[in-house]
Amino acid sequence: MEQSAAETPQNTFSCQLCGLSTSFTYYGQKPPNTRAVVLLEECFVVKDPFSPDKEKFLVLGSTCSLCNMCVCVGPDCSLFYTKRFCIQCVNKHLDQFPQQILAELAKKKQSSKPGVS
Amino acid sequence: MDGDRRRDSRSWDWNCPQSRAQMDQIFFREQDYIQAGSPEHKEFWAFFDRFQRFKAKRDMSGSGVRGEVKEKKRTGSNKVDLGLPKEYDARYRINVSVCTGDIEKRMGKSDPRSRQRSSGPGPQEVSDCRLALLHFLDFSQKQSFGKLAKLRREQKNLPIFQYRDRIVELVRLHPVVVVAGDTGCGKSTQVPQYLISAGFSHIACTQPRRIACISLAKRVSFESLNQYGSKVGYQIRFETSRTAATKLLFLTEGLLLRQIQQDKILDQYQVVIVDEVHERHLHCDFLLGVLRSLLADRPDLRLILMSATINIKLFSEYFHSAPVLQVPGRLFPIQVIYQPIPPEEQPSRSEKLDPRPYLRILQGIDQRYSPEERGDLLLFLSGMAEISTIQEACQVYATHTRRWIVLPLHSTLSLVQQDKVFDVAPAGVRKCIISTNIAETSVTIDGVRFVVDSGKVKEMSFDPKAKMQRLQEFWISRASSEQRKGRAGRTGPGVCYRLYSESDYNAFAPYPVPEIHRVALDSLVLQMKSMDLGDPLSFVFIDPPPTASIQTAVTYLKDQGALDSHGELTSIGRLLAQLPVDVVIGKMLVLGSLFNLVEPVLTVAAALSVQSPFLRSSQNNPDCSTARQPLHSNQGDPFTLLNTFNAWVEVKGDRGGGSRKWCRRRGLEEQRLYEMVNLRRQFKDLLKSHSLLESEDRAPSGGDRVQRRERFTERKKLHQLKRDHEQQEGSKRKVLRLDEGQDGELSSGSDTEDKGRGRKDKEGQGQDVDIQEVKFKLRHNISELQKAVSTSQDLSSRHQALLKLLLCRGLYPQLALPDEHNSTRKDSEQVFHTRNKQGVVIHPTSVFASDPEVLHVPEDDSRETGPDRKDSSRHQLLAFVTLLETNKPYLSNCVRVPALQALLLVASSVDTNADCTRLVVDGWLELELKEPEEALRVLSTAISLRSEWERLLKAQLGQSSLREPSGQGVSRRDMEKLSDSLFRFLLYTEVNYSLQRLTAFQAQNLYIGPRGEPDSSYSEVPDLSPLFPGAEAKPDPIKGGLRVTSFFTYNCLADSKDLYSECLRTFWSCPNCELYMPLTPLERMHHEVSCRPAGELQGVEKESEGEPAGSSSASSLTRIYHCDVCNEDLKLTSTEILKHKRQHMFSAK
Repeated sequence: MEQSAAETPQNTFSCQLCGLSTSFTYYGQKPPNTRAVVLLEECFVVKDPFSPDKEKFLVLGSTCSLCNMCVCVGPDCSLFYTKRFCIQCVNKHLDQFPQQILAELAKKKQSSKPGVS
Repeated sequence: MDGDRRRDSRSWDWNCPQSRAQMDQIFFREQDYIQAGSPEHKEFWAFFDRFQRFKAKRDMSGSGVRGEVKEKKRTGSNKVDLGLPKEYDARYRINVSVCTGDIEKRMGKSDPRSRQRSSGPGPQEVSDCRLALLHFLDFSQKQSFGKLAKLRREQKNLPIFQYRDRIVELVRLHPVVVVAGDTGCGKSTQVPQYLISAGFSHIACTQPRRIACISLAKRVSFESLNQYGSKVGYQIRFETSRTAATKLLFLTEGLLLRQIQQDKILDQYQVVIVDEVHERHLHCDFLLGVLRSLLADRPDLRLILMSATINIKLFSEYFHSAPVLQVPGRLFPIQVIYQPIPPEEQPSRSEKLDPRPYLRILQGIDQRYSPEERGDLLLFLSGMAEISTIQEACQVYATHTRRWIVLPLHSTLSLVQQDKVFDVAPAGVRKCIISTNIAETSVTIDGVRFVVDSGKVKEMSFDPKAKMQRLQEFWISRASSEQRKGRAGRTGPGVCYRLYSESDYNAFAPYPVPEIHRVALDSLVLQMKSMDLGDPLSFVFIDPPPTASIQTAVTYLKDQGALDSHGELTSIGRLLAQLPVDVVIGKMLVLGSLFNLVEPVLTVAAALSVQSPFLRSSQNNPDCSTARQPLHSNQGDPFTLLNTFNAWVEVKGDRGGGSRKWCRRRGLEEQRLYEMVNLRRQFKDLLKSHSLLESEDRAPSGGDRVQRRERFTERKKLHQLKRDHEQQEGSKRKVLRLDEGQDGELSSGSDTEDKGRGRKDKEGQGQDVDIQEVKFKLRHNISELQKAVSTSQDLSSRHQALLKLLLCRGLYPQLALPDEHNSTRKDSEQVFHTRNKQGVVIHPTSVFASDPEVLHVPEDDSRETGPDRKDSSRHQLLAFVTLLETNKPYLSNCVRVPALQALLLVASSVDTNADCTRLVVDGWLELELKEPEEALRVLSTAISLRSEWERLLKAQLGQSSLREPSGQGVSRRDMEKLSDSLFRFLLYTEVNYSLQRLTAFQAQNLYIGPRGEPDSSYSEVPDLSPLFPGAEAKPDPIKGGLRVTSFFTYNCLADSKDLYSECLRTFWSCPNCELYMPLTPLERMHHEVSCRPAGELQGVEKESEGEPAGSSSASSLTRIYHCDVCNEDLKLTSTEILKHKRQHMFSAK
């Protein structure tokens, strides 16, 4: 009955940075049943598991526009600024990013430090 | 342009509902991603407001940031140009775009007309809204992804996570794997998920408790991102969420056993996980045994046992050294403090507990730990009485210090009260939860930092000799002790105070006694028989129960008629094995199906299978007692329960939700009534599926189309309510009030109850949905239920008498005799005797505890005929459901029945003297009748009623097992006739008799015993088989005398008046035929049965089935009789045989 019936174990999205791994049901820019919504990048998409609505989707991740690494959308792994950049590439090209993003990254680094150590 | 915009925005009011509605028409149409009216739509507008505020704030503070970016840009980018836009815009951070053609149209060309309409949205407004929508979508994506990431993080952090691959590998390689891990390691939630992601499917995971099935299914489906699907489901007695898509099913151990009963090789599952095997419940031990033998037929089946790290070797070895994977738990360190109770504070046997040791601990905590450091206290005591003693003392301390909220926790509390232990205490206050061992495993309370362990537990044991359950206090085992301690370290480091010494601890048994060693095994043995598991004695249990225990069960089942003399299932036994209830209750159901008493019997059977709905705490509340009064029936507790259920259904039909209040006023736990109605329904379905009950042909849901439609819409609404409730469930935990522990069960008087009531009602008025009511409405059709119930309301005296007989037959041999001196005793000192246990009392909750006079022999009716002997026609017995010894042996759930009639109709052994004036029933009750005439009449009526009853019951059961549509089974007329005769026998048998227990001496010398040589008086005793079809009267090898039917032995009592049957011949004329001759009582009875008034002959005719239809009544009664004297076969009726024999006798003399 459910879409999940067709789902096979090999359809697994895995973030190459943090290891987050979960199955996906769609890859592309136009998730099914989402009507007017278009994604601005090719994404790994799954039905939003936290919504009772069957038509709500959740973007899991995509590939870095520079290095093609598969990354999740978590702020520790990648960011989107007109395109998807993995955090490694962002760090390599910090100078090209606007101040707002740099400030955000710096703030995050600060707040996450005590937790890591 | 700028001026234009400002003018427009001024006239455009975002807060105006119309404006928003206009936007809704653009962005949230039927075909859009978010639709107007949906929850997301509401969230969007809330988000929109926040977003606007944020924008306004940002515009005011730092619009200058934009400039700086540009300047920075060109420096040092000699490598790759990322092609990023020159100017920062938050919109570039969003990877989603919404494009309805509609929006594009409006955005693309500015429509001059729309701008003129001052109220309509201008392009700026549309664009603002669109931007907000994009941010909203991005925000919800982040939110959901955040949840997912957190979930995965938590899963990774569980101790079991690093064993993930190892577990899967072991399961692939071995048919049986033991996973042992302590509390908090995550085995119950994670192992099934590992298996699913490794590609296993059709996984069953058993749990000892229903509640765990539901909560685990919920948690695992959430974790496996299938919260709204049915990949993960649960199945318990009355509820299932299983669908064809279900890959993982949580179910109770008992239910899996039932499934194996239906599906011998358990084809439906690929993997079976048995969780919490260390708890050693009866069902679990049995299930392991069944699965062990099933593995031989299912080499592909994977079996995983999950256990705490207790006695792992036992499980591994039972399954041929199955591999064990041990996972460390995740407990915080717990400090153990041994504080044995000093001798002067030790309670003596009869005294109440001394609360001082407990109070010292509370004081100590208050001194040592600042109130800011949170952490509650969990105190383990053995039972309810102990809990209320300590609760009382602690409450005084709590009221004084205002630092504690004292809450009891045990299974007889109302669910609302039980639920309070999960609420949170206000800041600076700790909960002090005083619990039985229910909090050891079944109930897990977070936030406990201190544990006080009394080291005691009350455990049920079974005394096979007295057929009595016993609730006794014991020291706990080391395993339980550790489990209790562990409760302090779930959320942080904790402290465990043990009120015993370390040497005591070391002397404890290592493990608790498994249930299989403690309880009656009747149901287990019955189930084993029905599963073709062979001799229960040779079944390989993980820890075999005592042989005596199994033998007692087999004997009991034989007594109950569930097993035949060879120990094989009878047809009724086969049916009983299917019913998920006690044998006695199952029997009632089967018996009830025969007569027109199904509805009340269903209710009573259901009521007796659940905990009593009457709350103990309300017993002393005068308001409750008054309100309950109309429900009471002095016929017995099952009738009170029946009245209560019927009244409740009526209230439900009339007032729906008002039933909650109705119950509260009467001190009833409504949950039990819901359980009853569900169970009742299950029983009904079971009877139908066994063709014991006609399935009524009713129009689909009844009523016309309008009604059907109404019901459909109502159901839809109810489903929605249920879903809503399920979603918000658990998310809200109330904060307790400081005076929470004070009202409720301890304080007496009615004012506290009122206080509680007022508060509840306030809650009830709000959004608080009564989910039970919703589920009830979904599951049951109230008008059908009312109809069913109305047939059992205001039972006629005839139905009441019959119902009592059915209950009695079901409960037999659980009978108790009132002591002969009861009428001279105080109400509270009434004493009863069962066959195996003397001096039992009635439980204070029983109706007979408050109204014992109805059991006394009425003075005007009785005649003193000697010391301790009273002749009366009104002697009564109690049939009871349970005999449980706590501080005294108590009978509960009793019903009173007329003694002589009931015994003759249900007892499995009735022995008489020669003239049948002295009857001994089951070797312990003696009835003496004055008049041989009357005695004979009563006995012969009873015997013929019983044989007819048996015949109809067999036909009914035969019909159900053969499932012949044509086989008519029991004709309504036969049934009516029998119920009418039974009723007349029960109510109009006016025979005076005395009723007493046999003394030990009498019981020893009860029977004359067998005679060495068949002496002349016996060899010539008439053949009695036509009296009781299928049975041949032959000398009883043990008792002596003549065994006439399976239950009736004639003239076997070693009587002081033991006279030869010869001398007892008296002249007698038959009222129905011409016969006039001297006959012994037996000969007379025999004649009476075969010689019936003309009108009654049909019944007899039916018995001889093979006869051709037209045969005369006389010929149908004849049979071949071989006369030894004449040495020839004669075809005679039984009376003729008699005559024939007498002829020889006289001629010989």
